[in-house]
Amino acid sequence: MAMRDYAADKESFKNFFIDFCQTDDEGNKQFKYSDQLTKVAHREQNAFVVDLDDLHDANEELAEAVRQNTRRYTTMVSDVVYEMLPDFKHREVIAKDALDVYIEHRIMLEARNHRIPGEMRDPRNRYPPELIRRFEVYFKDLSSSKSLPIREVKAEHIGKLVTIRGIVTRCTDVKPLLVVATYSCAACGAETYQPVRGLQFTPPPACTADDCRLNKTAGQLHLQTRGSRFQKFQELKIQEHSDQVPVGHIPRQLSVYCRGETTRRAQPGDHVAVTGVFLPLLTSGFRQVVQGLLSDTYLEAHSVHCLNQSDESEMAEALTEEELAELADEDLYSRMARSLAPEIYGHEDVKKALLLLLVGGVDKRPNGMKIRGNINICLMGDPGVAKSQLLNYIDRLAPRSQYTTGRGSSGVGLTAAVMKDPFTGEMMLEGGALVLADQGVCCIDEFDKMAENDRTAIHEVMEQQTISIAKAGIMTCLNARVSILAAANPAYGRYNPKRTIEQNIQLPAALLSRFDLLWLIQDKPNREKDLELAKHIAYVHQHSAQPPGAVRALPMRLVRRYVALTKRKNPTVPTHLADYIVSSYVELRREARNARDVTFTSARNLLAILRLSTALARLRLSDVVEKEDVSEAIRLVEMSKQSLAPVDENVQRGISSTDRIFAIVRDLAGSNQTVKIADVIERCVDKGFKPDQVDACIEEYENLNVWQVNQVRTKITFM
Amino acid sequence: MHDLMTDFETVTPDLWMANEEAWKEKLLKLPNWFQIPLINSNASHNLPDGTLVRFRGMVQDMHNPEFYFEQFEVFNTVTNVTKSKSGKYRDTAHILENEKINYTENLRSSQRQTMVVVSMPGLNDWAQQLEDRQNHLKHLEQQPNTSKRLTNTGTKLKRSHDETEEDSDAMEVVEEVVTNKEPKTSDTETNTGSVLSREHLLNFPLPDMPSKSCIVKIYDDSENVKLNEMIEVVGFLSVDPALSGEFQPEKDPLLDPETESEVETITHNPPPSLVPRLHAVYVKKLDHCNPLIQSFDQESVLKEANSAREHLLKALTELLLGDKLAAEYLICHLISCIYLRQETLSLGQFCLNLSNLPTQKYPNYAKQLYEIIKQFVTKSYYLPLTIENMNTLSLLPKKDYECNRLTSGVLQLSKDTHLVLDETKMEQGRLDATGVNNIAALGNMIMTQKVEYDFKYYKMDFESDVSVLILSEGKSLLPSDYHLPLRPEEASLKIFDAIVEAATYYLKEDIMNIIRKYLTSLKLVKYTISEDLQFVEDDFIEMRSKSDSDNPVTADDLHRLLVLARLVSLSRGLDTLNKECWDITKNMEAERLQRIKNRVAPTL
Repeated sequence: MAMRDYAADKESFKNFFIDFCQTDDEGNKQFKYSDQLTKVAHREQNAFVVDLDDLHDANEELAEAVRQNTRRYTTMVSDVVYEMLPDFKHREVIAKDALDVYIEHRIMLEARNHRIPGEMRDPRNRYPPELIRRFEVYFKDLSSSKSLPIREVKAEHIGKLVTIRGIVTRCTDVKPLLVVATYSCAACGAETYQPVRGLQFTPPPACTADDCRLNKTAGQLHLQTRGSRFQKFQELKIQEHSDQVPVGHIPRQLSVYCRGETTRRAQPGDHVAVTGVFLPLLTSGFRQVVQGLLSDTYLEAHSVHCLNQSDESEMAEALTEEELAELADEDLYSRMARSLAPEIYGHEDVKKALLLLLVGGVDKRPNGMKIRGNINICLMGDPGVAKSQLLNYIDRLAPRSQYTTGRGSSGVGLTAAVMKDPFTGEMMLEGGALVLADQGVCCIDEFDKMAENDRTAIHEVMEQQTISIAKAGIMTCLNARVSILAAANPAYGRYNPKRTIEQNIQLPAALLSRFDLLWLIQDKPNREKDLELAKHIAYVHQHSAQPPGAVRALPMRLVRRYVALTKRKNPTVPTHLADYIVSSYVELRREARNARDVTFTSARNLLAILRLSTALARLRLSDVVEKEDVSEAIRLVEMSKQSLAPVDENVQRGISSTDRIFAIVRDLAGSNQTVKIADVIERCVDKGFKPDQVDACIEEYENLNVWQVNQVRTKITFM
Repeated sequence: MHDLMTDFETVTPDLWMANEEAWKEKLLKLPNWFQIPLINSNASHNLPDGTLVRFRGMVQDMHNPEFYFEQFEVFNTVTNVTKSKSGKYRDTAHILENEKINYTENLRSSQRQTMVVVSMPGLNDWAQQLEDRQNHLKHLEQQPNTSKRLTNTGTKLKRSHDETEEDSDAMEVVEEVVTNKEPKTSDTETNTGSVLSREHLLNFPLPDMPSKSCIVKIYDDSENVKLNEMIEVVGFLSVDPALSGEFQPEKDPLLDPETESEVETITHNPPPSLVPRLHAVYVKKLDHCNPLIQSFDQESVLKEANSAREHLLKALTELLLGDKLAAEYLICHLISCIYLRQETLSLGQFCLNLSNLPTQKYPNYAKQLYEIIKQFVTKSYYLPLTIENMNTLSLLPKKDYECNRLTSGVLQLSKDTHLVLDETKMEQGRLDATGVNNIAALGNMIMTQKVEYDFKYYKMDFESDVSVLILSEGKSLLPSDYHLPLRPEEASLKIFDAIVEAATYYLKEDIMNIIRKYLTSLKLVKYTISEDLQFVEDDFIEMRSKSDSDNPVTADDLHRLLVLARLVSLSRGLDTLNKECWDITKNMEAERLQRIKNRVAPTL
């Protein structure tokens, strides 16, 4: 590699700082770096930050060079800035602290002592640059560069600018670190300066000033604390995130040295992104002898940035080609649903519902009214039907989630608690599970076992998506935009279909109606399904793998990222679908009146359908809800109702799907003799039948001569 | 062959590096490695610095990678000669008084991975003795001791006072039984005294067990060694006393920021006499650590299985007071291991809960039973579930940020370790927070075969493969896959002490060895299930149709049946499932469920 022409680089930096400008929203030109320089010159700002994105726009090659050899360019930029500063100084600066005054004095003194005519020497030259410069140069990494896992930071990254993410496990106090040591000689009074680069230094043995050297007095040196320059220094230990650690390995750590402006940015336990230069640390003294063959490494921080939990920038990492190809397979919806808890066999509709819960519907705010988009689901069922497993899986999958049990959380544990700070005596609010899961999922197991007064808090959360607090003089309203996923056991051990849900679950109707979908997971023996299950399990044991015939489950990470991607879409319901939705809803209501309805068909169901259909549209990454979305949403609602339906098993067996479809067709026909097949299929699909079942029914009754179907198979005419 | 061996005795890191490939090939061709000193069995103070040695153990912790100088220059100030040296496979530079390392030029740094390897936790005495016998090298004892070794190393360091004292006895750790049963809580470790206890430095998962540990430096990244794996390392020994962290100079707190706390330094750099360093040239992952099995041949293992099973069944039936069913289940338990792991599903675990033990008549029945089981299996650990143990022991490994290492816990075990929990020792009392956590951790491990390690800021699941046997009076408070109440025969009950004696007599060394081989090798057998499983499917459907709310039959039951069927077939020397074994399995399960149903109050 050819040596870079550093002089040229210096020149290009100078031009870049002067010329670079951005146009802001109002069309004004913003000279970003000139402004910074002015501020630095007037001591209003210490950090001088160079954004590599800007540099990349101006000079791609130079930006790359900076990333490869950051330390060198830091010094260079520091020089450049120092040279340019006087031009940006528009007014006299008031000295901010003792060191400013001190520096000023030194410069004046130097200028006076060396006033030799004709010599155009900058008076500031004699002092080590670190002593006089009060600014710090930092680089900001390209926004396009990816953060490296700590374990990938290796020897080849030495000297380069890297960005890492991790969790702070330890941070030391901020301490002053000597940057330039100033000594004064006891014999001649001259000052000696010693720049300190590392963490340790050896003081010079004797005065080296001209006077002493010529007189051979070897005056003793005394450290002048006031004349020395110190810098804030803090060391952080950063550990890998649990998701970056390969299975079966221990998380690794990295030391980060923060100086000056980068100190005090993080506390132990914080998730941080650190940009810095990876450098070896040479040990000296005794350790050097002992471990002469080792060098410690550290990251010299250029920026320390705390990531709060909602910062999901990394989640939205662009999907790679392969992943897109994998997702592009047909029937993504069922495939993703199946990828949820793949070890649990069957329960496909439940999984679909859970997938929609993860995706969530669209929030709407028509004239100040707020309609939630989050979907709430309650799973009920006999003990041992994998409810908790499903909950656990969702808890792990969702980027933000809280898992609690009804018993384990009091109302305070769910909503918020008012705590008294032991030191200041102030009252503080501390969020509970529902607040912590804001914009996420709150999984509540054993929902039925929750104490009566705790449930009241949930009422508000489930519809208004807020928590009102009026405790100990604190009155406030916290956001709790959560989807609630609850699991409940039946009151008497097993679900009794002859009773109503309220009796079975012992939850008030007001609460139950707030769930968009209620699923009853039951485990009934069924020859066909049992055989399938047996085959499935046998296969797993035979081949030590999931059957290949079944759709391969998508990796959890991919599902998580895809779900994050879907959240960016805000699909709308086009007006022409309104009629369809309304008529379906009216149909639901009509049936609820007729049949012995155990659930509550209310306006909330209509909203549930809308939420589910928008979630479905999101899943397709579409901006518009389509008719299929709505019918699938209605199907899910219908299926969830059916799972609760108090049908007697024997009767259920007696009536085949064909018979039930026939009944629907008859209803539809009413007094008319003819019915459109399209209408039949639509209605039947809404009720949870599959189109092929409908076709079979039509054919069967045609053979029985109950009705006739016209040539093009669009109409049914009763005989 | 003999000269090959002498080659390995005299090889040095420099020689090795000169021709790395050839040496490695030579090493792999070696018929057995017994001649390379195994420092589990041979004290490392008998070996000079820089010899090729072996160590077997479990990866207990992984430290941050180290950056070392792969290539550097040394400048001799007297002769003005510059030499190029390498830091690979060694810790110290071995430079002379008048030599200086050139830190500015011609320096190539590289990365190596450091791990702490401890001798197999729970390795039983018989296995240890056998291994010692196989690997003990007599001639090493005549080797000059450490004092000689140091003179040739050429470091300018003087031997420190501490070192001379420690050398004489430090290596007797193996013999020394640590009597201190105090739990390793973090409080004891945070004391900043410069001398930390030996237990602290060794960091062994199991308390009151002798152990050795070793810091292994791995150069080849591709090895991908995981935590808790069993490995055998061949590498160069490094025991320079200067490596001990206790000899750190006092630091000036004002000028020197604390990059590493003192405790951390000492923990990471224990005296090499106690914890030798090993620079690995070759790492072999081990499937088992039974010294009786050198090679594995499926055919012969299966052929011999039945006779071994007969011996074992006979002995166990007697020991379990004439209960043949319990003996069958116990055999299955002893040969079980995880064979499939997916996301949240793991197949093959076989946690057996034997309840209804005659504790009133024989309060130490559980312990006596364990003493016998211990003779069969390679690795095991007996944990009495007393309130005190639960409240004080730290079962889960925990990251200690003070010392920056993973403090081990009892549940950090390598695969195929048998954990025997004695619940008969439990009495009424209060469990505190630690106790509740410990019980939860045990339950979690039994159900999912995963152990949650505590990293303070988050928890991480590590997979484990530990068979758990719970011995209890009533049904255990811990979950189990198979619960079986013991049904002792009156006659046997009276003469239990005599039975134990007879069993010890019956189980002579040769029969013992047959059983030991049988138990380990069956875990390595490849087992297949034929495509046609009509009988399994039919049976399941029938079971389902009979299921009612009191006896629900779920998918879990089928899993359980198939796991048991696998073990039943394997124990009989079959590597595939047939109808006969399936029927045996079904009957076993039926009988077991029947027993649970008509459970009577403890017999005595």
